[in-house]
Amino acid sequence: MTLDTPAPSDLADTAGSPPARFGRLVRPALGLLLPIGLALVWEFAVRFGYSNGRLVPPPSRIWQTLVELAASGELARHMLATLSRVGVGFGLGVLAGTVLGAICGYWPLARRLLDPTMQALRAIPSIAWVPLFILWLGIFETSKVALIAVGVFFPIYLGVTGAILDVDRKIVEVGRIFRLSGFAMIRRILLPAVLPSYVIALRSGLGLGWMFVVAAEFMGASEGLGYLLTDGQQLGKPAQILAAIIVFAILGKITDWLIQLIALPFLRWQDSFSTQAGGA
Amino acid sequence: MLVLDQVGKTYPNGVRALENFSARIALGEIIAIIGGSGCGKSTLLRAICGLDRATTGSVTLDYNAITAPHEKIGIIFQEPRLLPWLSVADNIGFGLGGLPASEREQRVSRALARVGLADKAHAWPRELSGGQAQRVAIARALVPSPEVLLRDEPFSALDAFTRADLQDHLLDLWADTKPTLVLVTHDVDEAVVLADRIMVMRPRPGRLFEEIRVDLTRPRDRSSSAFEDVKHQVLASLDRSLNRAVRPADNLLTVGDGI
Repeated sequence: MTLDTPAPSDLADTAGSPPARFGRLVRPALGLLLPIGLALVWEFAVRFGYSNGRLVPPPSRIWQTLVELAASGELARHMLATLSRVGVGFGLGVLAGTVLGAICGYWPLARRLLDPTMQALRAIPSIAWVPLFILWLGIFETSKVALIAVGVFFPIYLGVTGAILDVDRKIVEVGRIFRLSGFAMIRRILLPAVLPSYVIALRSGLGLGWMFVVAAEFMGASEGLGYLLTDGQQLGKPAQILAAIIVFAILGKITDWLIQLIALPFLRWQDSFSTQAGGA
Repeated sequence: MLVLDQVGKTYPNGVRALENFSARIALGEIIAIIGGSGCGKSTLLRAICGLDRATTGSVTLDYNAITAPHEKIGIIFQEPRLLPWLSVADNIGFGLGGLPASEREQRVSRALARVGLADKAHAWPRELSGGQAQRVAIARALVPSPEVLLRDEPFSALDAFTRADLQDHLLDLWADTKPTLVLVTHDVDEAVVLADRIMVMRPRPGRLFEEIRVDLTRPRDRSSSAFEDVKHQVLASLDRSLNRAVRPADNLLTVGDGI
């Protein structure tokens, strides 16, 4: 009977966990206090007539616009257009950045040949390419995707090259001692070693992808969330602009979170990731 | 038989790290290499295991010239150098890629039990203490059953208790297959406890200064007077090794290949 009583540490655990869980829920909620508070204040300011809310529409009107756009199927069409541009541009940028970054990181001669040019090109603000891309590739999808791909390319290229150069020589020697050949060395040592920085590069590349899709859609698009922005400006519909901005924010956050989610099982060995996941 | 013939290493920047190191080491012999910093001990180990090529002379194991890492030569580095993305068990089995999975598993679990980390098989390296990580590194070097095991002063950063514990673990595991053991150390006690022969090196350029044979029966009693005698002999030799006026050739007490 006495043997069955839980150890003191177990008791302390169960006693300690409810406040801890409470803290985990409340602490992120603290960050929501300010935006929600401001939204509420504005909502009531407009409702009680302190402002007409024409240039800064209250949350309810933005919500209503979103609902209308969604109901008419417009929202889905624009979201799909933007998502596919980001998707294709991001994919191409990641592919090119990964391949070139890997070559330059792994092969000193290629690095000496290519890297100075890459660094020079990187110094050009990507938006500066827009006129040239339109001349070369036309006003339609190709130039837009190209701009996004260029924007995504550089953080990926830099991330991959840097990560490979940063791989600890001592870890590589462990691979050499066990006689790993070129390909096995890449698969068993280099790839896992660069993965954490690669995920960070992917995330910053994706962020730039979202930034450049807006720029691309500003340069003349008939659909897409960026089109909703310019359309809202030209027709004086601030609620539509804010609705599009909110959708951008949500999509950006979700795609970033997807990358993290996909990477999680591969990065569980890292301190930061495993604590997020709550242990194996 | 591991044969080092006039091994020398000059780095591209002109630093002569090691000169004319020759030795014949029989299978199962334990050699301690001792000397101050900068006397080429680590350079010598890196040449033996094929990580760096000697610029002069040659290293041969059973008549095979060693110019690149060899399956029969293992090394325990100064740091554990575990791969952080592999579990403890996968780290230990890292060098067993060529074996079937069942045999690999068996060898790994046996090694885990031998170093007392059976319960840590699925832990990540970051969850280990310094001593545990070194034990994993020892197991990783030993599971492929090398003929020659090199050890580059791996326990110097650890506290005395952990170090003694690791020395026991190493000897324990060594006894399983009795490979040739070449240890770099600056712990005179350790050298006298473990080695059949102690090679004292002198710095700038690194070279063999004196070889001291330890003919004490095992297990060796650290408090015996014979032990103390050998220890004094080594310490005296280390002292003299730093005096550049002495020519190395005059001081070879015993030169032999140990057979």
